[in-house]
Amino acid sequence: MLDADVEVDRRDFTVRVALQVAPGERLALFGPSGAGKTTYLEAIAGLVLPRRGRIELGGRVLTSTDPPGQAMPPWQRRVGLLRQNPGLFPHLSVRDNLCYAPSASPSGEELSSLASVLGIETLLAAMPARLSGGQAHRVALGRLLLARCDTLLLDEPYTGLDASLRRTLTDLVGTLVMDRSIPAILVTHELGDAQAFADRLAVLDRGELLQVGAPNEVVLRPASRRVAELVGYLGFVPAGKTVAGVHPERVIAGAFGDRGLVLTGMVTARRPAGAGWEADLAIGAAAITCRLPDTPPASGGELIVTALDPPRFTADGSAIGNAPAQEGAGRPQQVRRLSKRAGRRATPTRTGHNNRSVRPSRQSRRA
Amino acid sequence: MSWAASPAAAVGGAVQGDDPSGPRRPAGWGQKAGGPPRLRSASTFVSVAGAGIIWVALLGPVITLLTHLSGGAIASSLTAQGALDPLVVSVESGLVTLGVLLVVCTPLAWMLARGKLPFPRVWETGVLCSMLLPPLVIGLLLVFMVGPYTPIGELLGHLHQSATNTFLALVIAEVYESAPYYVLGAQAAFASVEPGLEQQAGLLGDRPRRVFRRVTLPLAAPGLAMSLSIAWARAMGAFGAVIIIAYHPAGIPLQIYTTLQETGLPTALPYALVLLVVALPLPLAAYIWSARAGRRRRG
Repeated sequence: MLDADVEVDRRDFTVRVALQVAPGERLALFGPSGAGKTTYLEAIAGLVLPRRGRIELGGRVLTSTDPPGQAMPPWQRRVGLLRQNPGLFPHLSVRDNLCYAPSASPSGEELSSLASVLGIETLLAAMPARLSGGQAHRVALGRLLLARCDTLLLDEPYTGLDASLRRTLTDLVGTLVMDRSIPAILVTHELGDAQAFADRLAVLDRGELLQVGAPNEVVLRPASRRVAELVGYLGFVPAGKTVAGVHPERVIAGAFGDRGLVLTGMVTARRPAGAGWEADLAIGAAAITCRLPDTPPASGGELIVTALDPPRFTADGSAIGNAPAQEGAGRPQQVRRLSKRAGRRATPTRTGHNNRSVRPSRQSRRA
Repeated sequence: MSWAASPAAAVGGAVQGDDPSGPRRPAGWGQKAGGPPRLRSASTFVSVAGAGIIWVALLGPVITLLTHLSGGAIASSLTAQGALDPLVVSVESGLVTLGVLLVVCTPLAWMLARGKLPFPRVWETGVLCSMLLPPLVIGLLLVFMVGPYTPIGELLGHLHQSATNTFLALVIAEVYESAPYYVLGAQAAFASVEPGLEQQAGLLGDRPRRVFRRVTLPLAAPGLAMSLSIAWARAMGAFGAVIIIAYHPAGIPLQIYTTLQETGLPTALPYALVLLVVALPLPLAAYIWSARAGRRRRG
């Protein structure tokens, strides 16, 4: 179990994150660049000292600011951190890189079986300079696994690799984390990567945890308008006293009143997107974007679409009690204050909910 | 330009690109892989010719030295009684100097490179000052600093040592002449080691001292070897400070000077050859070793 509750001061805001990750669980920390995601990982790894916080890993206290303070140095933490730069030691062969950690003394058999799982069995004698980006990341991952880390922290490791390779590596990490039953956190600003990896998704913006939940639930039932914006809702349409969030991929052509909100708008632009089309619609003063399989009318034409089961928000941006997105996905949700201090300091300016995290209870998540 | 599109160049490029058996190399590497770059175009030819002219011009004094030496002169001046003593003195003092630099200046260079010191510009300016002072001035100032009637000189006197006209004085003079070159070179060598690698080594479970030994030092080693060979060259050729505070025991540069004054150029020149022959192997070995380390890293 990884339990990290930290507050780290940054130049223009404070990163306040409290999360618990169970052994074998995969959590994705999702948010825009500069939201404080990396800072959180670095605090766990001991590279950044939090102003206030307590970090426990598998029963060991890594950091505690409660008197007497405690800060275990990074080399005793057994925290594996994988960054975009795989950080292989250029003067050591792949084999020596894999066995670098003082705690790593794999038998030949263990080494070769891990190498074949990672698909690097033919590269053991090679020098890192000869590896491709994907290969280098496989070696870096193997090195962390052989070091017997108690947790795996992935800081956007696969940014810059092509999408299919990124997915392969993410899947590989996911499987290995489950096999070894260690907690893992993936930090990413790509929602697709987060969804592919995680059992649970945490949304972070400007240092504040906005929502924690099952990936699908966060996307379909964002806790606030800000979360909705972050997970890809591009249009917000007034509907009565509320505002409905419209996700481009949750729009179908035609009027289906029983499936969501029917909108009539004027096409202002259209362009090919993937195998289909993307159209911008003006609906009164609001504008939405939608993805459609069929060619929409040209600019100026009228189009009737249905936004499927859109989340609704009050004018100040907080979500209005939606029914759970899927049966069984999120029974009664427990709202947990990060800390007394966080609660007191939080300012309800942008979103009414930005000091709360919503998480499903353990049973419902396991179900 | 017909040179650029010559058929030979085109064929060479095609062969290199299509060779499936060759090892995979990063793009842009191909030209260096097969050996020295070929004279592909007029501009390449001009730059190689220019480099050759500069190289010969730099070698000019050495060539002149060789043309002015005769075997007989070398033999007669080097077989005289005690003729090789300066050689031994130079090599010994040079090696001791390198040892001192390694032990004393390496940590300083590392701290400068990693920004571990407050007010880094102040520290760097200090190093630059000692480099910018003419060696002769350093020698004069050293007399005021460690001469017999100074506090340091008196302290040395209590230990039955002296920093004037002794082996110790020679080493001190050589250290002062070569240290700034080593510090600045070593600083650059350490700065070229990516801090992220040291961090990663720490997270894998290495204490800072082990990280330094297993990651920082091996990665900085080629650069350190280069700076050490520059420092070696400075130490072997040290003259300005040496002639002030360490007239005895004479190393080769001083021997050349005194022989020149006593018996003239023909007997002094052979010592220059000796200096070259003795001083060259260490830097050369450093060059070869760094090149090898680089090749090994590229796999």
